Amino acid sequence: MFGELLGPKYLHWLFDGFVLTLILSLLTCLVATGLGFLLCLARISPSRLWSWPARAYLALFRNTPLLVQLFFWYFGVTAMLPEGLVMWLNQPRSLALGLFDIEWPSFEFIAGFWGLMLYTAAFIAEEFRAGVSSVRLEQRAAGLALGFTPAQVWRYIVFPQAVRTALGPLLGQYMNALKNSSLTMAIGLAELSYASRQVETETFKTFQAFGFATLLYVASIALIEVIGQGLARSKWYKQGVL
Amino acid sequence: MDFSVIGDNLSYFLLGAYPDGPLGGAALTLLLSLLSGLISAVLGLVLGIALVLLDGKVRWLLLGVLGFLRAIPVVMLIFWSYFLLPILLKVDVPALATVVCALSLIGGAYLAHSVHAGISSLPPGQWAAGKALGLSTWQVLRLIILPQALPMMLPSFLNQWITLIKDTSLAYVIGVGELSFVATQVSNRVMVHPTEIFLFVGLLYFVFCSSLDLIANRWVKPGAKTR
Amino acid sequence: MKKLTALTALTLAVLSGLAHADRLDDIKKSGVLRVASFDSNPPFGFVDAKSKQIEGLDVDYAKAIADKLGVKLQLQPTNPANRVPLLVANKVDLVLANFTITPERAEQVNFSIPYFASGQQFIVKKGTLTSPQELNQWRVGVDKGTVNEGVLREKFPGAKVVAYDDTPFAFTALRNGNVQAITQDGPKLIGLLANVPDKDKYEVPPFTISNDLIGVGIPKGEERLTEVVNQTLTDLEAQGKAQGIYDTWFGPTTKTPLTRLYKIGDKS
Repeated sequence: MFGELLGPKYLHWLFDGFVLTLILSLLTCLVATGLGFLLCLARISPSRLWSWPARAYLALFRNTPLLVQLFFWYFGVTAMLPEGLVMWLNQPRSLALGLFDIEWPSFEFIAGFWGLMLYTAAFIAEEFRAGVSSVRLEQRAAGLALGFTPAQVWRYIVFPQAVRTALGPLLGQYMNALKNSSLTMAIGLAELSYASRQVETETFKTFQAFGFATLLYVASIALIEVIGQGLARSKWYKQGVL
Repeated sequence: MDFSVIGDNLSYFLLGAYPDGPLGGAALTLLLSLLSGLISAVLGLVLGIALVLLDGKVRWLLLGVLGFLRAIPVVMLIFWSYFLLPILLKVDVPALATVVCALSLIGGAYLAHSVHAGISSLPPGQWAAGKALGLSTWQVLRLIILPQALPMMLPSFLNQWITLIKDTSLAYVIGVGELSFVATQVSNRVMVHPTEIFLFVGLLYFVFCSSLDLIANRWVKPGAKTR
Repeated sequence: MKKLTALTALTLAVLSGLAHADRLDDIKKSGVLRVASFDSNPPFGFVDAKSKQIEGLDVDYAKAIADKLGVKLQLQPTNPANRVPLLVANKVDLVLANFTITPERAEQVNFSIPYFASGQQFIVKKGTLTSPQELNQWRVGVDKGTVNEGVLREKFPGAKVVAYDDTPFAFTALRNGNVQAITQDGPKLIGLLANVPDKDKYEVPPFTISNDLIGVGIPKGEERLTEVVNQTLTDLEAQGKAQGIYDTWFGPTTKTPLTRLYKIGDKS
C-alpha cells in the first residue's frame, strides 16, 4: 500500500489546495496582525470605553472553538441574511482588470477568511499584550524622567522590547493560523486538508494523501520557524532597531 | 430556532452514554484537557529550561523535535499515531491515550518556547549576580530566574491551556466521543438543528475556557503586584 | 547487545506470527467481533436517542454476524474517511458502514457479497430543477469522503462542488441558499426529508445517477472470514431475516417507507 505514489492529477489537486491554504493564511496573518495590534492598544487603554469592548471581544473569540465560529459565520449568518443577497454572494463572477481576470472569491473563502482572521487577531492581541507587560513599569518611569514624551517612551522604550519578547509567540500564532486554516474545510473551502480528503476518496491511498498534506504543512511551518530563527539572530533584532 | 433538542439530549451532551456506556461528552472533554494540560505544563517547563541550559548539537536536536511538533497540525499527529503506529511498529495505542499524548506533546512544544522566551527576556546580569553570590546554576534558576520569568509568561501558558481545551475537539478524527463528537452525532440524527446544537456547544466551551481565564487572572494578579 | 538482537528477532517473529494468524481464529479466541459502523447516518447507523447506543440497519447485520460466530459485538463509530484505514491498521475486524463496493476499494480490502443497494439522488428546493442538465451550472453540496462526490464530478463536470463534513451541514447550506442542490444515496435523502419540518418545500427529483451496491468491508486476504460473512448474509436472506431487518428501517410503517428492490444474492 505504500508502493504506489499518487498520479499527477491528484498531485495537482493537492498543489491547488496548498496554494489556497497559503493565500488564506497569508491574508489572515497580515490583517489579523493589524487588528490584533489595535485590539491590544484598546485592551491596555486606561479608558474603559476602549478596554471593556476589547476584553469582551478577546473573551468571546479566544474561548470558543474556531470550528464553532466558522459554522456561525457560514451557516448562522447566512440564515439571517436576505435571500437575494446570499444568491448574489454565491454567484461566480470575475473582475476584469485589463489583461487579467480576477475571480471573485467564493463565499466559502470570504466566510473562512473572516472567521479565521477574527479568531487569530484575538490571540495576536494577547501576545502583544504579554510583550508589553514584559517591559517593566520602572523603565517607563525612567524614560519619562529623562524628559521623553509618553509617545517617545512608547516608540523607543516599550515598543522595541515588547516586539522582541512577542516575536517568538507571534510566529507561533502565524503557524497556528496556517494549521487552523485546515478547519475551513468544514465549511467547504477546498484547501489542503480538503484536497487530501478528496484524493483519499478517489484513490483510497489514505496514507499517501495524508502523508503528502502533512509534509506540505510541516515544510511551510518549518519555513516560518527558519525565518524566525533568522530574525532572532539578525543584528537588526539584537540591537533592537525597530 | 428550537432549543428543545438541547434539553432532550442534555445528558448525552454532558456525559455521553455514561453510566450505560463509556464516559463521553463534556465530561470527557474536561478529563482529556485536564490530563494533557498537566502533562504539557510539566513538559514545557522541563524542555524550556533545557533550551536555556543546553548548547551545541543537543540543543539543535531539541529545537528540531520541537519545531516538528509545532509544525504538524494536531489532527494529522493524532491521525498518524492512531493509524500508522500499529502498521509500522505493530503497537496498538488506544484512542484516548493517543489523544492525550498528541495534545501533551504539541502543547509542551509550544510552552517550551514560551518558557525559554520568558527566561531569556531577563537581563543577563541576573545570572551573573546570582553566580557572584555563590549560587549554583540550579539555584539561580530556581531562586532568581524562574520566579521572575514565570509570572511574565503566564499569559502564554493560559493561551496554550485554552487552546488545549478547544483542541480536544479534534479527537473526533479517531472517533473519541468528546463534546463536539457527540454533538455531531445528535446533529446527524435530528438533521435540522445544527445551528442550535453548535451554539450550545460553543457556549459550553466558552464557559469552560472563560472560567479557566477567570481563575487564572485572579491567581496572576497578586504576583503582578509584587513586581 | 547480542541478547538484545536475539530478543528483538524473537519479538518480531512472535508479532509477525500473530499478524499472519487467521483473523477468524483471532475473533473466536478473543470472543469479540470489532465492527466499525456509522454513528451519524440514520437509518444505517446512528446513536439512538433513548438507549444512547449505536443502532441501525448496518448494526443489525453486524449483530447477526456476531451471533453466527458466537461472539460479542463491539462497535467502533467511524466517519466515511476512516473506513479503509481502520481495516488496514487492524483497528477493527469488519466495516459495516454503508460501504459502497468499488474496484478501487477492492484493491485495499476484501468485500462480502452485497446486502443493500441504493442509487445516488438529489434534493432541491421544490420546482427549481426542470432538467438534470441544469445541475451542470449549479452549486451542489456533497459529503466528504463518499463515492457521491466522484460520481457527481464525473456526471456533471460543470457543477461547482462544495463538500461538507456531514449531510445535515450540506442540508443547512441548501436551506440557506449557499448551494442549490445536495446529493447523497437515495434512501439517506428520504430519511433526511422525513425529519425536516418544512419538507413540502423540498423534493427528490425522480432520477438516479448511479447504482451502488453496499457490502461488508473485510481486511485484505482474510478469505475464511469473508466466506463466513457471505454465508451468514445468504442464510439471513434464506431465513427471511434480511427482510425483517429491512422492514425495521424501511418497512411501510417506518418514517422512511421504501420498496425493497434488491435482495441478497440478486445479480445487479
